[in-house]
Amino acid sequence: MDIKTALLNKKSSRILGLWLVFLPLVFIVIVPLLYMVSMAFTREAGQLKFPIEWIPQPITITNFTHIFADKTLPIMRWFGNSLLVATVGTIIVGFLSSLSGYAFARLEFPGKNMLFSLLIFSLMIPAAVTLIPAFLLLRDVKLLNTYHAIWWPAAATVTGIFLMRQHFYAIPKDLEDAALVDGASRFRIYWQICLPLVRGALVALSIFTFLGMWNDLFWPLIVLSDREVLTLPIGLLVLQQGSYIQRGLAFAGAFIATVPVLIFYAIFQRRIIAGITTTGMAGQ
Amino acid sequence: MTSTAQPIKGAVVAQEQRWKVIRKQLPNYLFVLPHFLLFAVFILFPIFRSIHISLFDWKIMLKEQHFIGLANYEALLKDQIFWQALGNTAYIMLFTVICNIVLGLLIASGLKHSFFGSNFLRVLFYAPGIVSVSVLAIIGIRIWDTQLGVVNYFVTTLLHGPRVSWLGNPSLVLPALSMTTVWWTFGFPMLVFIAGLQNIPETLYEAAKIDGANPRQSFFYITIPLIMPTMLFITVTQFIAHMQVFAQAYIISGGGPGNYSRTVVMYLYETAWRYFRFGYASAISVVLAAIMIVVTLILFYLLRRRTEY
Repeated sequence: MDIKTALLNKKSSRILGLWLVFLPLVFIVIVPLLYMVSMAFTREAGQLKFPIEWIPQPITITNFTHIFADKTLPIMRWFGNSLLVATVGTIIVGFLSSLSGYAFARLEFPGKNMLFSLLIFSLMIPAAVTLIPAFLLLRDVKLLNTYHAIWWPAAATVTGIFLMRQHFYAIPKDLEDAALVDGASRFRIYWQICLPLVRGALVALSIFTFLGMWNDLFWPLIVLSDREVLTLPIGLLVLQQGSYIQRGLAFAGAFIATVPVLIFYAIFQRRIIAGITTTGMAGQ
Repeated sequence: MTSTAQPIKGAVVAQEQRWKVIRKQLPNYLFVLPHFLLFAVFILFPIFRSIHISLFDWKIMLKEQHFIGLANYEALLKDQIFWQALGNTAYIMLFTVICNIVLGLLIASGLKHSFFGSNFLRVLFYAPGIVSVSVLAIIGIRIWDTQLGVVNYFVTTLLHGPRVSWLGNPSLVLPALSMTTVWWTFGFPMLVFIAGLQNIPETLYEAAKIDGANPRQSFFYITIPLIMPTMLFITVTQFIAHMQVFAQAYIISGGGPGNYSRTVVMYLYETAWRYFRFGYASAISVVLAAIMIVVTLILFYLLRRRTEY
């Protein structure tokens, strides 16, 4: 009994020690997020208080009603735009990545290895060098200010292919051979047999693509300029510009953009973290 | 096997067979074609096109572009702002990558074994990473604000120090932006390091312990060498990501004071989309890409050599 309690004590003191070490970090991670929430519910006059009023006096939603009332700040429209951009983009990226990933894992064709090396090599090329030609091209075909300008360049990504290929490899070949003997086409084998077996990887890829497109600022900033078609991250910049030196509005906008993502993250945290881990490991 | 007996006939048959196989494999191209077309249009072609455009005095309004050879590159070499921006970018990149790796590895060592609340900590520490860079910027502006900022709140109340002008001070603006970036991005390396650490067999640590190794020795002689493949992956991906830092500087500090926090991609963005000098901006992008490819290859060489023993 004594040894057991001693071990237990040792274990709990170790846990306590770890928590003491991590507590400052928890504090640093949480405070900026809490600050955003706090300021989103602070009225404009309270924004300028120093020392900071962490709990707003009074707690108010006027920042939100101001945004919704302002016709020049169609934040719900931007929200919908972001949702559309991210959803369709995710479907395109998921489909094309799995299609290509399947071919590189399972099919034979001349030049396959060369093609794959080309994709790997392209990982070293920074996106910065592709911006201007891609922009000029989209301008020439009159696709600026449409979401095609976001979806199709996004679908050129190669990381999804690596992830999917890795997982298609793990499927036993016998399964496909049996289907081939039964006369199923290659596409049917991919779509009906193999794709369901790599569902986990596809979901992970979709989550990351969705989050990435929901949050992206740089490329949409380049190809979208009409206020009606902006996505939420650009809309948040508009909230800070021009005559709006209303700090509360920016925080309310940030709150609207972040809360759905945080809820999404809380629901799928296990999947997301497992996804990062396997993607990270697959990347080696 | 039988072709040694009748080499010529065998070769013909083999060739026919090969053609048959290739014909049968042709439909397989359809699987890679949709992606490859987009890849060719939006990644492959733009690389060469960027080099091409950089040889012109490319203005977006002109019908006929004016060929000027390497003049853009010559101008770039003498461009003080470009060199300053490159220095700023390197500063933010180094600060962020080093902090992310050290912090990520240390936290991962603590979170490797699960304990009460360890899963909560993992989820929490990655949370900043799912915030949009626009939101990061809105928070960042106020975190570092001189009059109302959160950092100065703690500086004045806890440390009883004076208010510090973080974003207005040439020597403090880059550390401030770097720390903001670390807050935003350290979760990813942490998670990958946790997975990497869990792949190291526990028996190695037990054996070392029996041989009388202390925790520090275990860390430097077992963990570090065996984590090198993960380290290579993290270093390269983080390097590529943070060399292209844009929004933090663009929104939080606006590149200021002066040019003290202007980054290369921000300079590229302004040159192209504010001043519409696409030729010069292309030259900037080509030089940035060249620098990044060379450094990536060096990193591969250095870190891979350490992992093979």
